[in-house]
Amino acid sequence: MTERSEKLRALNERYVACRSCDALWLRPTLEAGQRARCPRCHDVVVTNKTRGIERTTALMLASLFVYVVAIAFPFMRMERAGLSNEISVIDAVAVLWQNGMAVLAVVTALLILLFPVTRVVMILLLHAALNRNFGYRRQQAVLLRVGQTVEPWAMADIFMIGVIVSLVKVGSLARIEVGPAFWAMSALIVFMAMGSSATCRDTVWDALRRQL
Amino acid sequence: MGRVTPAAMRTATDAGFIVCRSCGTLSDRADTACTVCGATVRSLSRDGLQAVWAYWLAGVLAYIPGNVLPIMVTQSLSGVTESTIMGGVITLLHHGSYGIAAVIFIASIGVPVAKFIVIAWLALSIQHGWSIDPHRQHRAHQAIELIGRWSMIDVFVVAALAALIQIGGLMSITPGVGVNAFAMSVVLTMFSAMSLDARLIWMPTDDHTRTSNDP
Repeated sequence: MTERSEKLRALNERYVACRSCDALWLRPTLEAGQRARCPRCHDVVVTNKTRGIERTTALMLASLFVYVVAIAFPFMRMERAGLSNEISVIDAVAVLWQNGMAVLAVVTALLILLFPVTRVVMILLLHAALNRNFGYRRQQAVLLRVGQTVEPWAMADIFMIGVIVSLVKVGSLARIEVGPAFWAMSALIVFMAMGSSATCRDTVWDALRRQL
Repeated sequence: MGRVTPAAMRTATDAGFIVCRSCGTLSDRADTACTVCGATVRSLSRDGLQAVWAYWLAGVLAYIPGNVLPIMVTQSLSGVTESTIMGGVITLLHHGSYGIAAVIFIASIGVPVAKFIVIAWLALSIQHGWSIDPHRQHRAHQAIELIGRWSMIDVFVVAALAALIQIGGLMSITPGVGVNAFAMSVVLTMFSAMSLDARLIWMPTDDHTRTSNDP
């Protein structure tokens, strides 16, 4: 252990800075379920959520399960004048690609398929590792960093609102039925949102900082 | 600076430290990788506004074709119709879908325009040291970071329709060129808002010191 990292660890044990306004405070001791707000900008500086690791693990596991259902089962089916068209979410992206809409296909695939699953898998692996007190802290730090970077780009929730709007738009033109994947996708956005609010990032970063 | 005021003593920057924006770790060296999470630790500087303005300008420029060019092309037995974002809103209003029309209008026009104005207002006020209540600016910044991604709704509406409505010669929907520009504009403005470091709002400027936050 170098002298500098010892010094930085001691510094971080004693002080905490507000990420929103840069104010420096003595690190507060929080009971489970408490959170401390910055007296200057009123943003939350430190949280200590109750059973963050267990709840996040459970919700992210549930998210992963419904994600598999959401991509494997039919999403929607439309029927008009005897002709019908049934699509899964992956078909939807493939149809865009095949019809020469490569840009839209790639953007959609990233935002509604790749980024959500990246977030779920990263946060799940991290919390599973924390649960079992697994080593590899450096790798765990990477998992959390990637997981929080993709968070605003995981747009499964926005996609579902877009789908509902499109159902209203074509409701008069064709008969539309929703499949199991539609409900799985709806469950996914609920579980992901609950998982995100259950995660106690500060506790995890503090733990990683102490053990690195 | 040589000037010691209670406010100037209280930030991490004034104490000679830099906070990692990714994991909150205090560090003593700028522009190096954070010892905990590996992200680059950047010291607080108004130079970062260059990136904000670059993304902002690119986002505004992409927003124009996104609105003027058609985002959706409908081919049916009765011919080919092209519709723009605003055209889609008007069609929905004609069909009496007021709620959905409002959702699309707010997400595709209200939110992006509000974002352009708020980011420019924040960046200008930081550059020129306008005395505006930092709490107001802080809330505005948080609001645009939260709602900015919702502008993507219309892109997904077009993608869903184009994927679903493909029934040979009977009827098909394809995206128009405008949708690419619009999606690009949303992504660029999200980058612009993310590059705006909220801590700059609270940084005292050289020619005036904000006192409203002193207890």
